Amino acid sequence: MPVDILVPPLSQTLDTLVLVEWLKKVGDPVQKGEPLFTVETDKATLEVEAPADGVLASVHAQAGDEIQIRGVIGHIQEPGKPGAPEEFPALGEVTSSDELADLDETKVLEELKDPQDLKGPRIFASPRARQLAFKKGLALKELDGCGTGPQGMIVEKDVRAYLEQNKPRATPLAQRMAQEAGLDLTTVPPSQQGERIRKADVAATLAGANMHSQAPTASSPTGPEDKMVGGAAGKGVPLSPTRKTIATRMTQSHQTSAPVTYMSEADATRLVKLRKNVLKEIGQVETRPTLTDFIIRITAHVLKKHPQLNATFDGSFLDISQAIHIGLAVDTERGLLVPVLPDTGQMGLLQIADMRSRLVQKALSGGLKPEEMSGGTFTLSNLGKLGIDHFTPIINPPQVAILGVGRLREASAVRKGKARKRYSLGLSVTCDHRVIDGAPAARFLGDICRLVEEPHLFWL
Amino acid sequence: MPKMTIAEALRQAIREEMHRDARVFCLGEDIGIEGGFGGAFTVTLGLSQEFGHQRILDTPISEAAIAGLAIGAAVAGMRPIADVQYGDFLFNMMDQLANEAAKLRYMSGGTLSVPMVMRAPIGATARGAQHAQSLEAFFTHIPGIKVACPATAYDAKGLLKSAVRDENPVILFEHKLLYGSKGPRSEKGAVSPVGEVPEEDYLVPFGQGVIRRPGGDVTIVANLLMLYRSLSAAETLAGKGIQAEVIDPRSLVPLDKELILSSVRKTGRLVIVEEDNLSGGWGAEIAAIVADEAFMWLDAPIKRVAAPDVPPPFAPVLEREYVPNEGKIINTVLSLF
Repeated sequence: MPVDILVPPLSQTLDTLVLVEWLKKVGDPVQKGEPLFTVETDKATLEVEAPADGVLASVHAQAGDEIQIRGVIGHIQEPGKPGAPEEFPALGEVTSSDELADLDETKVLEELKDPQDLKGPRIFASPRARQLAFKKGLALKELDGCGTGPQGMIVEKDVRAYLEQNKPRATPLAQRMAQEAGLDLTTVPPSQQGERIRKADVAATLAGANMHSQAPTASSPTGPEDKMVGGAAGKGVPLSPTRKTIATRMTQSHQTSAPVTYMSEADATRLVKLRKNVLKEIGQVETRPTLTDFIIRITAHVLKKHPQLNATFDGSFLDISQAIHIGLAVDTERGLLVPVLPDTGQMGLLQIADMRSRLVQKALSGGLKPEEMSGGTFTLSNLGKLGIDHFTPIINPPQVAILGVGRLREASAVRKGKARKRYSLGLSVTCDHRVIDGAPAARFLGDICRLVEEPHLFWL
Repeated sequence: MPKMTIAEALRQAIREEMHRDARVFCLGEDIGIEGGFGGAFTVTLGLSQEFGHQRILDTPISEAAIAGLAIGAAVAGMRPIADVQYGDFLFNMMDQLANEAAKLRYMSGGTLSVPMVMRAPIGATARGAQHAQSLEAFFTHIPGIKVACPATAYDAKGLLKSAVRDENPVILFEHKLLYGSKGPRSEKGAVSPVGEVPEEDYLVPFGQGVIRRPGGDVTIVANLLMLYRSLSAAETLAGKGIQAEVIDPRSLVPLDKELILSSVRKTGRLVIVEEDNLSGGWGAEIAAIVADEAFMWLDAPIKRVAAPDVPPPFAPVLEREYVPNEGKIINTVLSLF
């Protein structure tokens, strides 16, 4: 019997997810547990594993479609088990009239059609050829018309010949670099046509990809269907799933929310001093609390007083969260990731430092689990290290506010007629004006600034 | 090591088993009569002088009696080897074989067993529709009966000895064109798989096929005479750049399916050659197993080369057309590339 491919309940807040892409095509063999499709939740792009061994028999949703959680979006035909007869009720079994009444005839007709019919003529290939092409990530379409088997069927030999012919030739060093960077050599243009791909070519492609991943994404109209962006050499670079998610979410954020950014400047001298004293006091610890950890602690504290900023908004319902889960924007090779410090509101400074350090390490090494990036109620983004004084962060939907932390810089301040060296910290908060008006947002930022400037007030 | 034909190897196996175990005896039509051939195909020639007519037992011309006698003797503790003269006559025994021999051990919960051997010559040899059939598939379909098909002298001796010592009824299908091309009962067109046969006691176990010719491009499974035609086709195919791996299953029940599956995983192509009529043959069973368990390894459809669904014709011209030959095997293999 065909096995249903179900959409797993990966989102706490949404009933639907977006199908980013199928990682298999209809007719491809699949193994239980291997990635079958990717979905985008409100938090991340996740790979969903195949529920059974077999062949991907049908799909009912295409890339970009919204798909219902727990809905069936396709079927896997288990090997050696005939499908068609079992899809219909056995003799004697009666389909209830209610079920029949619910049937949408056009949908049924669509499902009965071979999905391949909709996309052009069926490609005949031996199971062995399909298996090999699948393993090599080769679309059989590429081989259409090249089959040399019985009746023009694509056979193993044809796939091997194609792979051999299209094998990118590269120096061993270039091969190793590409492998380490997870780069497909077929996307690397050799500097000279017909020449082998060299180290410099791989480096150029990687640099091009990086440049784009750091470019402001919100201004890009890239949707999930746009798989390529222009690279340095004019060569298209396929978007990683992470990058695609960022693109979609940032666009979604800007298009659906009404962001207003409020900026302020806080005198952080006392906070810097406090940190020094704390570090002196605690001595050698595994993770020394950074200024960011202090600000996370302060933010969690202030959010308790401003619960409407610690919330998610789906366009109609503002869900004010009891618990405070602060996400921290982390710049990684694969793009922006936002690990979440669960229950930040309950954590002490050292706990925050430990957890922050662990999550950032995982983000950088690519070891973050989806659940470690989900459930955030507020986000903090710190660009101070990169020399930014002020910026206008984009809200991480469905959250309603984000705090931007700028550079800690030396400044002189006149106090009682004397110029004194002070530390100045740029702070900004972007709030969704649909649910948070200017005054409460300003009060929130004011309270943050006040605790940065007068950290002892924390105890009030 | 002495070289001998399949008929001689079978005779040696019977002789050794009869010396080894006093319960072993032979029965059949004209198998021990003075001045006879030693059965229809010389297998028991001379054994009645050595063991006497009590143990080389000539029966009336009644296959039903042979089957009943063999089953009864086996249940009572003897080890009968029945000569069926022509495999086609197995149909006369069918109720006793299918309903009694195959099922007594099962129905009695193992209290009874039927350790008997039926030696059944098969194959089309210009004798017409009732003396020319290949009957393996009828018996591979009956649970409780083992089916073996020796294609070499070595296997003939080893498989017959395994059959005699097995606690279950075993049908040993012997091909009339493989007994030997010399001697009083040699057949026109016989191939003579004379091979070295060790003089000592040895067994060829059931369920162990053998690769008769290794190759990487296509797997050919064939038994008995078809094995030799396939080997000869493989030789011709090698000249065309196709390396065929030829597998002799040796026993069909139990079947060495792992050997076949592993070969198909290597070659991606499978041709099964059997002399029986195409429909419902053991070749179809192997095709189904491979389609089921090695589907993803196939690079071409599974093909069977078999006799058409008509009785074996008497006219030699038609019979030559009827029995799968080297040309048909070659063409079928070529159609997969």
